[in-house]
Amino acid sequence: MKLHRVYAIILRYLFAFRRSYDRVADTFYWPLIDLFLWGLTSAYFSATSHVGTSFIVTVISGVLLWIIVWRAQYEISVGLLTDLWDRNLINIFISPISFSEWLTSFIILGVIKGVASLAFAATIAYFMYHVQILMYGLYLLPFFVLLLLNGWWIGFFVAGLIIRYGTKIQTLAWTVAGLVIPFSGVFYPISILPQWAQNVSWLLPTSYIFEDARQFALHGTINLNNLGLSLLMSIVYVTASLWFIRTGMNKILQKGLVNLE
Amino acid sequence: MRVLEVKNLTKKFGTFTAVNNISFSVEEGEILGLLGINGAGKTTTLQMLLGVMTPTSGEVNYFGMDLKHHREEILEKVNFSSTYTNLPWVLNVQESLTFISYLYNLKNRKKRVEDIMKTFQLTQLAKKLNSQLSAGQRTRVNLAKSMLNYPKVLLLDEPTASLDPEVAKYIRDFLVEQRARYGMSIIITSHNMNEVEEICDRVVFINQGKIIADDTPLALTKTLQISQISLVIIEGQKQLKECAKRQNIDMTTEGIFTHITIKETDVANFLYQIMQEGVRYSEISIIKPNLEDYFLSVATKTKEDK
Repeated sequence: MKLHRVYAIILRYLFAFRRSYDRVADTFYWPLIDLFLWGLTSAYFSATSHVGTSFIVTVISGVLLWIIVWRAQYEISVGLLTDLWDRNLINIFISPISFSEWLTSFIILGVIKGVASLAFAATIAYFMYHVQILMYGLYLLPFFVLLLLNGWWIGFFVAGLIIRYGTKIQTLAWTVAGLVIPFSGVFYPISILPQWAQNVSWLLPTSYIFEDARQFALHGTINLNNLGLSLLMSIVYVTASLWFIRTGMNKILQKGLVNLE
Repeated sequence: MRVLEVKNLTKKFGTFTAVNNISFSVEEGEILGLLGINGAGKTTTLQMLLGVMTPTSGEVNYFGMDLKHHREEILEKVNFSSTYTNLPWVLNVQESLTFISYLYNLKNRKKRVEDIMKTFQLTQLAKKLNSQLSAGQRTRVNLAKSMLNYPKVLLLDEPTASLDPEVAKYIRDFLVEQRARYGMSIIITSHNMNEVEEICDRVVFINQGKIIADDTPLALTKTLQISQISLVIIEGQKQLKECAKRQNIDMTTEGIFTHITIKETDVANFLYQIMQEGVRYSEISIIKPNLEDYFLSVATKTKEDK
Protein backbone atom coordinates (compact mmCIF):
# COMPACT_ATOMS: atom_id res chain seq x y z
CA MET A 1 0.00 0.00 0.00
CA LYS A 2 1.53 3.33 -1.12
CA LEU A 3 0.19 6.28 0.84
CA HIS A 4 0.97 8.84 -1.88
CA ARG A 5 -1.47 7.09 -4.21
CA VAL A 6 -4.16 6.96 -1.53
CA TYR A 7 -3.52 10.64 -0.88
CA ALA A 8 -3.82 11.39 -4.63
CA ILE A 9 -7.39 10.11 -4.72
CA ILE A 10 -8.31 11.87 -1.47
CA LEU A 11 -6.84 15.09 -2.88
CA ARG A 12 -8.87 14.68 -6.06
CA TYR A 13 -12.11 14.55 -4.06
CA LEU A 14 -11.15 17.31 -1.67
CA PHE A 15 -10.39 19.57 -4.66
CA ALA A 16 -13.79 18.67 -6.08
CA PHE A 17 -15.54 19.20 -2.74
CA ARG A 18 -14.57 22.86 -2.63
CA ARG A 19 -16.63 23.78 -5.65
CA SER A 20 -19.14 20.99 -5.89
CA TYR A 21 -22.30 22.36 -4.28
CA ASP A 22 -24.07 19.01 -4.26
CA ARG A 23 -21.20 17.49 -2.25
CA VAL A 24 -21.32 20.39 0.20
CA ALA A 25 -25.09 19.94 0.41
CA ASP A 26 -24.63 16.20 1.05
CA THR A 27 -22.27 16.93 3.91
CA PHE A 28 -24.08 19.81 5.60
CA TYR A 29 -27.46 20.61 4.08
CA TRP A 30 -29.20 17.22 4.29
CA PRO A 31 -28.09 16.48 7.87
CA LEU A 32 -29.44 19.91 8.76
CA ILE A 33 -32.77 19.24 7.05
CA ASP A 34 -33.02 15.85 8.81
CA LEU A 35 -32.39 17.50 12.14
CA PHE A 36 -35.02 20.15 11.52
CA LEU A 37 -37.68 17.74 10.32
CA TRP A 38 -37.14 14.93 12.80
CA GLY A 39 -36.23 17.22 15.66
CA LEU A 40 -39.22 19.52 15.32
CA THR A 41 -41.60 16.62 14.72
CA SER A 42 -40.38 14.82 17.84
CA ALA A 43 -40.44 18.11 19.83
CA TYR A 44 -44.06 18.57 18.80
CA PHE A 45 -44.97 15.02 19.84
CA SER A 46 -43.21 15.27 23.16
CA ALA A 47 -44.97 18.57 23.90
CA THR A 48 -48.43 17.31 22.98
CA SER A 49 -48.31 13.78 24.37
CA HIS A 50 -46.99 11.92 27.39
CA VAL A 51 -43.83 10.59 25.64
CA GLY A 52 -41.59 13.23 27.24
CA THR A 53 -38.13 14.44 26.19
CA SER A 54 -36.77 10.91 25.89
CA PHE A 55 -38.54 10.77 22.56
CA ILE A 56 -36.50 13.68 21.22
CA VAL A 57 -33.28 12.10 22.50
CA THR A 58 -34.13 8.79 20.83
CA VAL A 59 -34.94 10.35 17.49
CA ILE A 60 -32.12 12.90 17.35
CA SER A 61 -29.44 10.42 18.42
CA GLY A 62 -30.76 8.11 15.68
CA VAL A 63 -30.41 10.91 13.14
CA LEU A 64 -26.88 11.68 14.31
CA LEU A 65 -25.62 8.10 14.37
CA TRP A 66 -27.14 7.29 10.99
CA ILE A 67 -25.03 10.08 9.46
CA ILE A 68 -21.95 7.88 10.03
CA VAL A 69 -23.40 4.93 8.09
CA TRP A 70 -24.73 7.15 5.35
CA ARG A 71 -21.51 9.13 4.79
CA ALA A 72 -19.34 6.01 4.76
CA GLN A 73 -21.49 4.21 2.16
CA TYR A 74 -22.08 7.37 0.14
CA GLU A 75 -18.40 8.19 -0.34
CA ILE A 76 -17.72 4.74 -1.75
CA SER A 77 -20.67 4.40 -4.12
CA VAL A 78 -20.94 8.04 -5.22
CA GLY A 79 -17.13 8.28 -5.47
CA LEU A 80 -17.17 5.49 -8.04
CA LEU A 81 -20.09 7.12 -9.86
CA THR A 82 -18.32 10.48 -10.02
CA ASP A 83 -15.33 8.97 -11.79
CA LEU A 84 -17.67 7.16 -14.14
CA TRP A 85 -19.57 10.34 -14.98
CA ASP A 86 -16.28 12.21 -15.51
CA ARG A 87 -14.86 9.35 -17.61
CA ASN A 88 -11.83 9.55 -15.32
CA LEU A 89 -11.74 5.91 -14.22
CA ILE A 90 -9.29 4.96 -16.98
CA ASN A 91 -6.89 7.72 -15.89
CA ILE A 92 -6.94 6.23 -12.40
CA PHE A 93 -6.50 2.60 -13.35
CA ILE A 94 -3.79 3.08 -15.96
CA SER A 95 -1.72 4.53 -13.14
CA PRO A 96 0.12 2.23 -10.70
CA ILE A 97 -2.68 2.52 -8.10
CA SER A 98 -4.01 -0.79 -6.86
CA PHE A 99 -7.67 -1.59 -6.35
CA SER A 100 -7.19 -1.78 -2.58
CA GLU A 101 -5.45 1.62 -2.50
CA TRP A 102 -8.36 3.08 -4.44
CA LEU A 103 -10.91 1.63 -2.01
CA THR A 104 -8.84 2.78 0.96
CA SER A 105 -9.07 6.36 -0.31
CA PHE A 106 -12.86 6.19 -0.24
CA ILE A 107 -12.81 4.66 3.21
CA ILE A 108 -10.67 7.54 4.51
CA LEU A 109 -12.84 10.10 2.71
CA GLY A 110 -15.88 8.54 4.35
CA VAL A 111 -14.27 8.95 7.76
CA ILE A 112 -13.25 12.57 7.09
CA LYS A 113 -16.65 13.60 5.77
CA GLY A 114 -18.49 11.48 8.34
CA VAL A 115 -16.67 13.26 11.16
CA ALA A 116 -17.32 16.65 9.52
CA SER A 117 -21.04 15.96 9.01
CA LEU A 118 -21.44 14.45 12.47
CA ALA A 119 -19.60 17.30 14.20
CA PHE A 120 -21.73 19.85 12.35
CA ALA A 121 -25.02 18.04 13.00
CA ALA A 122 -24.11 17.28 16.62
CA THR A 123 -23.45 20.97 17.26
CA ILE A 124 -26.80 21.93 15.74
CA ALA A 125 -28.54 19.17 17.75
CA TYR A 126 -26.98 20.42 20.96
CA PHE A 127 -28.07 24.02 20.45
CA MET A 128 -31.52 23.23 19.06
CA TYR A 129 -32.60 20.26 21.13
CA HIS A 130 -30.02 20.00 23.94
CA VAL A 131 -29.13 16.50 22.76
CA GLN A 132 -25.45 15.73 23.25
CA ILE A 133 -23.75 13.10 21.12
CA LEU A 134 -21.07 12.97 23.81
CA MET A 135 -23.62 11.46 26.19
CA TYR A 136 -22.41 8.09 24.88
CA GLY A 137 -19.02 8.76 26.47
CA LEU A 138 -16.40 6.22 25.46
CA TYR A 139 -19.08 4.05 23.86
CA LEU A 140 -19.21 6.60 21.05
CA LEU A 141 -15.97 5.14 19.71
CA PRO A 142 -17.20 1.54 19.26
CA PHE A 143 -20.51 2.87 17.93
CA PHE A 144 -18.62 5.03 15.43
CA VAL A 145 -16.37 2.17 14.29
CA LEU A 146 -19.25 -0.30 13.97
CA LEU A 147 -21.41 2.15 12.06
CA LEU A 148 -18.48 2.91 9.74
CA LEU A 149 -18.06 -0.82 9.04
CA ASN A 150 -21.74 -0.98 8.15
CA GLY A 151 -21.48 2.03 5.85
CA TRP A 152 -18.55 0.32 4.13
CA TRP A 153 -20.27 -2.97 3.45
CA ILE A 154 -23.32 -1.22 2.06
CA GLY A 155 -21.04 1.04 -0.03
CA PHE A 156 -18.92 -1.84 -1.34
CA PHE A 157 -22.02 -3.83 -2.18
CA VAL A 158 -23.63 -0.95 -4.10
CA ALA A 159 -20.33 -0.12 -5.84
CA GLY A 160 -20.00 -3.81 -6.76
CA LEU A 161 -23.43 -3.66 -8.40
CA ILE A 162 -22.59 -0.42 -10.25
CA ILE A 163 -19.31 -1.91 -11.49
CA ARG A 164 -21.27 -4.90 -12.80
CA TYR A 165 -24.24 -3.09 -14.34
CA GLY A 166 -23.04 0.50 -14.89
CA THR A 167 -24.70 3.85 -14.27
CA LYS A 168 -28.16 2.61 -15.30
CA ILE A 169 -28.55 1.42 -11.70
CA GLN A 170 -26.86 4.48 -10.18
CA THR A 171 -29.96 5.31 -8.14
CA LEU A 172 -28.93 2.50 -5.77
CA ALA A 173 -26.13 4.76 -4.51
CA TRP A 174 -28.79 6.93 -2.85
CA THR A 175 -31.50 4.40 -2.13
CA VAL A 176 -29.99 1.19 -0.75
CA ALA A 177 -28.98 2.73 2.56
CA GLY A 178 -32.56 4.00 2.89
CA LEU A 179 -33.76 0.43 2.58
CA VAL A 180 -31.67 -0.55 5.60
CA ILE A 181 -33.07 2.24 7.86
CA PRO A 182 -36.55 0.80 8.59
CA PHE A 183 -35.07 -2.57 9.59
CA SER A 184 -32.26 -1.10 11.69
CA GLY A 185 -34.42 0.45 14.39
CA VAL A 186 -32.77 3.83 13.95
CA PHE A 187 -35.73 5.73 15.42
CA TYR A 188 -37.79 3.01 17.12
CA PRO A 189 -37.21 -0.33 18.83
CA ILE A 190 -37.07 -3.44 16.68
CA SER A 191 -39.82 -4.94 18.86
CA ILE A 192 -42.49 -2.74 17.25
CA LEU A 193 -41.81 -4.24 13.82
CA PRO A 194 -43.93 -7.14 12.52
CA GLN A 195 -42.33 -10.51 13.07
CA TRP A 196 -41.10 -10.96 9.48
CA ALA A 197 -39.44 -7.52 9.63
CA GLN A 198 -37.86 -8.36 12.98
CA ASN A 199 -36.36 -11.47 11.37
CA VAL A 200 -34.80 -9.24 8.72
CA SER A 201 -33.63 -6.79 11.38
CA TRP A 202 -31.65 -9.40 13.31
CA LEU A 203 -29.72 -10.15 10.11
CA LEU A 204 -28.49 -6.55 10.04
CA PRO A 205 -25.54 -5.61 12.27
CA THR A 206 -26.91 -2.04 12.44
CA SER A 207 -29.97 -3.20 14.44
CA TYR A 208 -27.85 -4.29 17.40
CA ILE A 209 -25.96 -0.98 17.43
CA PHE A 210 -29.07 1.18 17.39
CA GLU A 211 -30.78 -0.97 19.99
CA ASP A 212 -27.77 -0.59 22.25
CA ALA A 213 -27.41 3.14 21.55
CA ARG A 214 -31.08 3.72 22.40
CA GLN A 215 -30.84 1.63 25.55
CA PHE A 216 -27.82 3.64 26.64
CA ALA A 217 -29.44 6.99 25.83
CA LEU A 218 -32.61 6.13 27.76
CA HIS A 219 -31.40 3.91 30.59
CA GLY A 220 -27.62 4.34 30.71
CA THR A 221 -26.99 0.63 30.20
CA ILE A 222 -25.48 -1.28 27.33
CA ASN A 223 -25.54 -4.89 26.18
CA LEU A 224 -21.96 -5.73 25.23
CA ASN A 225 -23.07 -9.03 23.69
CA ASN A 226 -25.05 -7.02 21.16
CA LEU A 227 -21.98 -4.98 20.27
CA GLY A 228 -19.85 -8.13 20.00
CA LEU A 229 -22.39 -9.81 17.76
CA SER A 230 -22.67 -6.69 15.63
CA LEU A 231 -18.89 -6.53 15.28
CA LEU A 232 -18.71 -10.17 14.20
CA MET A 233 -21.53 -9.74 11.70
CA SER A 234 -20.06 -6.47 10.39
CA ILE A 235 -16.69 -8.14 9.76
CA VAL A 236 -18.40 -10.96 7.86
CA TYR A 237 -20.46 -8.48 5.81
CA VAL A 238 -17.47 -6.25 5.04
CA THR A 239 -15.45 -9.29 3.93
CA ALA A 240 -18.30 -10.54 1.73
CA SER A 241 -18.86 -7.09 0.20
CA LEU A 242 -15.13 -6.74 -0.52
CA TRP A 243 -15.24 -10.07 -2.30
CA PHE A 244 -18.31 -8.88 -4.20
CA ILE A 245 -16.70 -5.63 -5.41
CA ARG A 246 -13.41 -7.39 -6.25
CA THR A 247 -15.16 -10.03 -8.37
CA GLY A 248 -17.21 -7.21 -9.97
CA MET A 249 -13.95 -5.49 -10.91
CA ASN A 250 -12.56 -8.72 -12.35
CA LYS A 251 -15.74 -9.06 -14.41
CA ILE A 252 -15.50 -5.55 -15.84
CA LEU A 253 -11.82 -6.11 -16.62
CA GLN A 254 -12.97 -9.01 -18.77
CA LYS A 255 -15.17 -6.58 -20.73
CA GLY A 256 -12.66 -3.72 -20.59
CA LEU A 257 -12.83 -0.72 -18.29
CA VAL A 258 -13.49 1.59 -21.25
CA ASN A 259 -16.83 -0.18 -21.68
CA LEU A 260 -17.99 0.59 -18.13
CA GLU A 261 -20.47 3.44 -18.31
CA MET B 1 16.41 -2.61 -26.33
CA ARG B 2 12.90 -4.03 -26.49
CA VAL B 3 10.51 -2.12 -24.23
CA LEU B 4 7.27 -3.87 -25.15
CA GLU B 5 6.64 -7.36 -26.37
CA VAL B 6 3.18 -8.65 -27.15
CA LYS B 7 2.96 -12.41 -27.57
CA ASN B 8 -0.02 -14.26 -29.02
CA LEU B 9 -2.49 -11.82 -27.54
CA THR B 10 -6.11 -12.89 -27.96
CA LYS B 11 -9.38 -11.43 -26.71
CA LYS B 12 -12.67 -13.20 -27.17
CA PHE B 13 -16.13 -11.96 -26.23
CA GLY B 14 -18.22 -15.10 -26.28
CA THR B 15 -17.87 -16.49 -29.79
CA PHE B 16 -16.58 -13.19 -31.22
CA THR B 17 -12.81 -12.84 -31.44
CA ALA B 18 -11.92 -9.15 -31.18
CA VAL B 19 -8.15 -9.68 -31.14
CA ASN B 20 -6.82 -12.83 -32.68
CA ASN B 21 -3.40 -14.09 -31.64
CA ILE B 22 -1.42 -10.93 -32.36
CA SER B 23 2.29 -10.54 -31.65
CA PHE B 24 4.46 -7.48 -32.08
CA SER B 25 7.16 -5.60 -30.26
CA VAL B 26 8.33 -2.03 -29.75
CA GLU B 27 11.95 -0.99 -29.42
CA GLU B 28 13.28 1.79 -27.21
CA GLY B 29 12.79 5.13 -28.95
CA GLU B 30 10.53 3.69 -31.61
CA ILE B 31 7.25 5.28 -32.68
CA LEU B 32 4.79 2.61 -33.70
CA GLY B 33 1.49 3.30 -35.43
CA LEU B 34 -1.34 0.94 -34.53
CA LEU B 35 -3.78 1.28 -37.37
CA GLY B 36 -7.00 -0.24 -38.54
CA ILE B 37 -10.52 0.67 -39.49
CA ASN B 38 -13.16 1.18 -36.79
CA GLY B 39 -13.85 -2.09 -35.01
CA ALA B 40 -10.56 -3.63 -36.14
CA GLY B 41 -9.45 -4.30 -32.56
CA LYS B 42 -7.19 -1.29 -31.84
CA THR B 43 -8.97 -0.07 -28.70
CA THR B 44 -9.26 -3.62 -27.38
CA THR B 45 -5.53 -4.07 -27.93
CA LEU B 46 -4.74 -0.75 -26.24
CA GLN B 47 -6.88 -1.68 -23.24
CA MET B 48 -4.99 -4.94 -22.84
CA LEU B 49 -1.64 -3.11 -23.18
CA LEU B 50 -2.74 -0.81 -20.33
CA GLY B 51 -4.00 -3.56 -18.06
CA VAL B 52 -7.61 -2.34 -18.06
CA MET B 53 -8.81 -5.40 -19.95
CA THR B 54 -7.90 -8.99 -19.17
CA PRO B 55 -6.71 -10.90 -22.26
CA THR B 56 -8.27 -14.28 -23.01
CA SER B 57 -4.77 -15.56 -23.68
CA GLY B 58 -1.31 -14.29 -24.51
CA GLU B 59 1.22 -12.06 -22.81
CA VAL B 60 2.06 -8.38 -22.56
CA ASN B 61 5.63 -7.78 -21.40
CA TYR B 62 7.14 -4.37 -20.71
CA PHE B 63 10.87 -3.97 -20.01
CA GLY B 64 11.13 -7.77 -19.81
CA MET B 65 8.41 -8.00 -17.13
CA ASP B 66 4.95 -9.50 -17.40
CA LEU B 67 2.20 -6.87 -17.00
CA LYS B 68 0.00 -9.32 -15.13
CA HIS B 69 2.52 -9.83 -12.33
CA HIS B 70 4.44 -6.52 -12.36
CA ARG B 71 1.58 -4.10 -12.99
CA GLU B 72 2.61 -1.47 -10.44
CA GLU B 73 6.27 -1.38 -11.47
CA ILE B 74 5.41 -1.20 -15.17
CA LEU B 75 2.63 1.40 -14.98
CA GLU B 76 4.96 3.83 -13.18
CA LYS B 77 6.81 4.11 -16.51
CA VAL B 78 3.85 3.99 -18.89
CA ASN B 79 1.13 6.52 -19.63
CA PHE B 80 -1.79 7.03 -21.93
CA SER B 81 -3.88 9.75 -23.50
CA SER B 82 -7.15 9.35 -25.31
CA THR B 83 -10.15 11.23 -26.50
CA TYR B 84 -12.45 8.87 -24.59
CA THR B 85 -11.06 9.80 -21.18
CA ASN B 86 -11.36 13.08 -19.31
CA LEU B 87 -9.95 14.58 -16.21
CA PRO B 88 -12.52 15.38 -13.49
CA TRP B 89 -14.94 18.08 -14.65
CA VAL B 90 -15.00 20.14 -11.46
CA LEU B 91 -11.22 20.26 -11.08
CA ASN B 92 -9.14 22.92 -12.75
CA VAL B 93 -6.17 22.07 -14.96
CA GLN B 94 -3.57 22.61 -12.24
CA GLU B 95 -5.49 20.57 -9.65
CA SER B 96 -5.94 17.72 -12.14
CA LEU B 97 -2.24 17.54 -12.91
CA THR B 98 -1.39 17.88 -9.21
CA PHE B 99 -3.48 14.92 -8.08
CA ILE B 100 -2.13 12.83 -10.98
CA SER B 101 1.43 13.78 -9.97
CA TYR B 102 0.77 12.16 -6.57
CA LEU B 103 -0.40 8.97 -8.24
CA TYR B 104 3.05 8.69 -9.84
CA ASN B 105 4.93 9.94 -6.78
CA LEU B 106 6.87 12.53 -8.76
CA LYS B 107 9.76 14.43 -7.26
CA ASN B 108 9.51 18.25 -7.33
CA ARG B 109 5.79 17.93 -8.07
CA LYS B 110 4.99 21.61 -8.17
CA LYS B 111 7.77 22.40 -10.62
CA ARG B 112 6.95 19.41 -12.81
CA VAL B 113 3.30 20.48 -13.04
CA GLU B 114 4.34 24.05 -13.89
CA ASP B 115 6.85 22.85 -16.50
CA ILE B 116 4.41 20.50 -18.20
CA MET B 117 1.74 23.23 -18.31
CA LYS B 118 4.29 25.51 -19.93
CA THR B 119 5.27 22.87 -22.47
CA PHE B 120 1.66 22.30 -23.52
CA GLN B 121 0.80 26.02 -23.43
CA LEU B 122 -1.60 25.52 -20.53
CA THR B 123 -0.25 28.07 -18.07
CA GLN B 124 -2.98 30.57 -18.98
CA LEU B 125 -5.58 27.84 -18.46
CA ALA B 126 -4.22 26.60 -15.12
CA LYS B 127 -7.21 27.84 -13.10
CA LYS B 128 -9.83 26.94 -15.68
CA LEU B 129 -12.11 24.01 -14.90
CA ASN B 130 -11.83 20.99 -17.17
CA SER B 131 -15.54 21.38 -17.95
CA GLN B 132 -14.88 24.87 -19.34
CA LEU B 133 -12.17 23.81 -21.78
CA SER B 134 -12.67 23.45 -25.51
CA ALA B 135 -12.14 20.02 -27.08
CA GLY B 136 -8.70 21.05 -28.29
CA GLN B 137 -7.66 22.42 -24.90
CA ARG B 138 -8.90 19.23 -23.25
CA THR B 139 -6.79 17.16 -25.63
CA ARG B 140 -3.75 19.23 -24.66
CA VAL B 141 -4.47 18.70 -20.95
CA ASN B 142 -4.81 14.95 -21.54
CA LEU B 143 -1.50 14.95 -23.37
CA ALA B 144 0.15 16.95 -20.60
CA LYS B 145 -1.20 14.43 -18.08
CA SER B 146 0.24 11.58 -20.12
CA MET B 147 3.72 13.15 -20.12
CA LEU B 148 3.73 14.01 -16.43
CA ASN B 149 5.58 10.89 -15.22
CA TYR B 150 8.33 10.95 -17.89
CA PRO B 151 6.91 7.76 -19.44
CA LYS B 152 9.26 5.30 -21.10
CA VAL B 153 6.31 4.02 -23.11
CA LEU B 154 3.50 6.33 -24.12
CA LEU B 155 0.26 5.08 -25.62
CA LEU B 156 -1.75 7.64 -27.53
CA ASP B 157 -5.20 7.16 -28.95
CA GLU B 158 -5.94 9.82 -31.56
CA PRO B 159 -3.63 12.34 -29.85
CA THR B 160 -4.18 15.23 -32.22
CA ALA B 161 -7.90 14.76 -32.84
CA SER B 162 -9.76 18.06 -32.39
CA LEU B 163 -6.54 20.09 -32.37
CA ASP B 164 -6.05 22.88 -34.87
CA PRO B 165 -3.31 22.17 -37.46
CA GLU B 166 -0.78 24.47 -35.81
CA VAL B 167 -1.11 22.88 -32.37
CA ALA B 168 -1.24 19.39 -33.90
CA LYS B 169 2.08 20.08 -35.64
CA TYR B 170 3.52 21.40 -32.37
CA ILE B 171 2.44 18.21 -30.58
CA ARG B 172 3.91 15.97 -33.29
CA ASP B 173 7.21 17.84 -33.16
CA PHE B 174 7.15 17.62 -29.36
CA LEU B 175 6.65 13.85 -29.44
CA VAL B 176 9.46 13.36 -31.93
CA GLU B 177 11.72 15.57 -29.81
CA GLN B 178 10.87 13.66 -26.62
CA ARG B 179 11.68 10.43 -28.37
CA ALA B 180 15.04 11.82 -29.49
CA ARG B 181 15.88 13.29 -26.08
CA TYR B 182 14.68 10.56 -23.71
CA GLY B 183 14.40 7.51 -25.92
CA MET B 184 10.68 7.41 -25.20
CA SER B 185 8.75 4.80 -27.17
CA ILE B 186 5.32 5.73 -28.47
CA ILE B 187 2.41 3.66 -29.67
CA ILE B 188 -0.08 5.77 -31.52
CA THR B 189 -3.45 5.18 -33.10
CA SER B 190 -4.68 7.78 -35.51
CA HIS B 191 -6.98 8.22 -38.46
CA ASN B 192 -4.72 10.98 -39.75
CA MET B 193 -2.54 9.01 -42.14
CA ASN B 194 -0.33 11.97 -42.95
CA GLU B 195 0.48 12.22 -39.27
CA VAL B 196 1.29 8.53 -39.06
CA GLU B 197 3.49 8.72 -42.15
CA GLU B 198 5.26 11.75 -40.70
CA ILE B 199 6.14 10.45 -37.25
CA CYS B 200 5.88 6.64 -37.20
CA ASP B 201 8.91 4.47 -37.74
CA ARG B 202 6.75 1.43 -38.18
CA VAL B 203 3.10 0.60 -38.59
CA VAL B 204 1.15 -2.41 -37.36
CA PHE B 205 -2.05 -2.77 -39.34
CA ILE B 206 -4.88 -4.63 -37.62
CA ASN B 207 -7.90 -5.90 -39.47
CA GLN B 208 -10.66 -8.04 -37.97
CA GLY B 209 -8.48 -8.64 -34.94
CA LYS B 210 -5.46 -9.88 -36.87
CA ILE B 211 -2.23 -8.19 -37.83
CA ILE B 212 -2.24 -7.98 -41.60
CA ALA B 213 0.88 -5.86 -41.96
CA ASP B 214 3.85 -4.87 -39.81
CA ASP B 215 6.26 -2.65 -41.69
CA THR B 216 7.44 0.91 -42.32
CA PRO B 217 4.85 3.30 -43.79
CA LEU B 218 6.89 3.49 -46.99
CA ALA B 219 7.09 -0.28 -47.42
CA LEU B 220 3.33 -0.61 -46.87
CA THR B 221 2.49 1.96 -49.52
CA LYS B 222 4.87 0.21 -51.92
CA THR B 223 2.75 -2.92 -51.70
CA LEU B 224 -0.06 -1.05 -53.48
CA GLN B 225 2.07 -0.45 -56.64
CA ILE B 226 -0.58 1.84 -58.03
CA SER B 227 -0.10 5.45 -59.14
CA GLN B 228 -2.49 8.01 -60.44
CA ILE B 229 -1.55 10.20 -63.40
CA SER B 230 -3.55 13.39 -63.90
CA LEU B 231 -3.21 15.11 -67.27
CA VAL B 232 -4.62 18.25 -68.90
CA ILE B 233 -4.94 17.11 -72.51
CA ILE B 234 -4.64 19.68 -75.27
CA GLU B 235 -4.63 17.22 -78.18
CA GLY B 236 -5.36 13.49 -78.70
CA GLN B 237 -8.05 12.73 -76.14
CA LYS B 238 -9.42 10.01 -78.47
CA GLN B 239 -6.00 8.34 -78.91
CA LEU B 240 -5.48 8.42 -75.17
CA LYS B 241 -8.81 6.69 -74.56
CA GLU B 242 -7.99 3.98 -77.12
CA CYS B 243 -4.53 3.44 -75.71
CA ALA B 244 -5.95 3.05 -72.17
CA LYS B 245 -8.63 0.69 -73.41
CA ARG B 246 -6.07 -1.46 -75.24
CA GLN B 247 -4.00 -1.84 -72.12
CA ASN B 248 -7.03 -2.30 -69.84
CA ILE B 249 -6.16 0.78 -67.79
CA ASP B 250 -8.76 2.72 -65.75
CA MET B 251 -9.34 6.24 -67.04
CA THR B 252 -11.78 8.91 -65.85
CA THR B 253 -12.37 12.51 -66.83
CA GLU B 254 -13.15 15.28 -64.38
CA GLY B 255 -13.43 18.74 -65.89
CA ILE B 256 -10.21 19.51 -67.72
CA PHE B 257 -8.37 16.67 -65.95
CA THR B 258 -8.02 13.12 -67.14
CA HIS B 259 -7.10 10.67 -64.35
CA ILE B 260 -5.37 7.41 -65.15
CA THR B 261 -4.84 4.73 -62.53
CA ILE B 262 -1.88 2.58 -63.44
CA LYS B 263 0.76 0.28 -61.97
CA GLU B 264 3.70 2.31 -60.70
CA THR B 265 6.19 0.37 -62.86
CA ASP B 266 4.18 1.05 -66.05
CA VAL B 267 4.02 4.83 -65.73
CA ALA B 268 7.06 5.70 -67.82
CA ASN B 269 6.18 3.27 -70.60
CA PHE B 270 2.57 4.48 -70.76
CA LEU B 271 3.59 8.12 -71.02
CA TYR B 272 6.05 7.25 -73.81
CA GLN B 273 3.35 5.34 -75.71
CA ILE B 274 0.74 8.11 -75.62
CA MET B 275 3.38 10.58 -76.74
CA GLN B 276 4.14 8.31 -79.74
CA GLU B 277 0.45 8.26 -80.58
CA GLY B 278 0.29 12.03 -80.72
CA VAL B 279 -1.25 12.86 -77.36
CA ARG B 280 -0.17 16.28 -76.10
CA TYR B 281 -0.74 17.61 -72.61
CA SER B 282 -0.06 20.91 -70.87
CA GLU B 283 0.02 19.69 -67.26
CA ILE B 284 0.92 16.43 -65.57
CA SER B 285 0.96 15.23 -62.01
CA ILE B 286 1.83 11.75 -60.83
CA ILE B 287 0.46 10.86 -57.42
CA LYS B 288 2.21 7.97 -55.71
CA PRO B 289 0.22 5.86 -53.26
CA ASN B 290 0.37 6.88 -49.63
CA LEU B 291 -0.63 5.29 -46.35
CA GLU B 292 -4.17 6.60 -46.74
CA ASP B 293 -4.50 4.67 -50.01
CA TYR B 294 -3.28 1.57 -48.21
CA PHE B 295 -5.80 2.19 -45.42
CA LEU B 296 -8.60 2.69 -47.93
CA SER B 297 -7.67 -0.44 -49.85
CA VAL B 298 -7.89 -2.46 -46.63
CA ALA B 299 -11.20 -0.83 -45.73
CA THR B 300 -12.63 -1.57 -49.18
CA LYS B 301 -11.44 -5.15 -49.06
CA THR B 302 -12.97 -5.59 -45.59
CA LYS B 303 -16.34 -4.29 -46.83
CA GLU B 304 -16.20 -6.63 -49.84
CA ASP B 305 -15.35 -9.60 -47.60
CA LYS B 306 -18.38 -8.84 -45.43
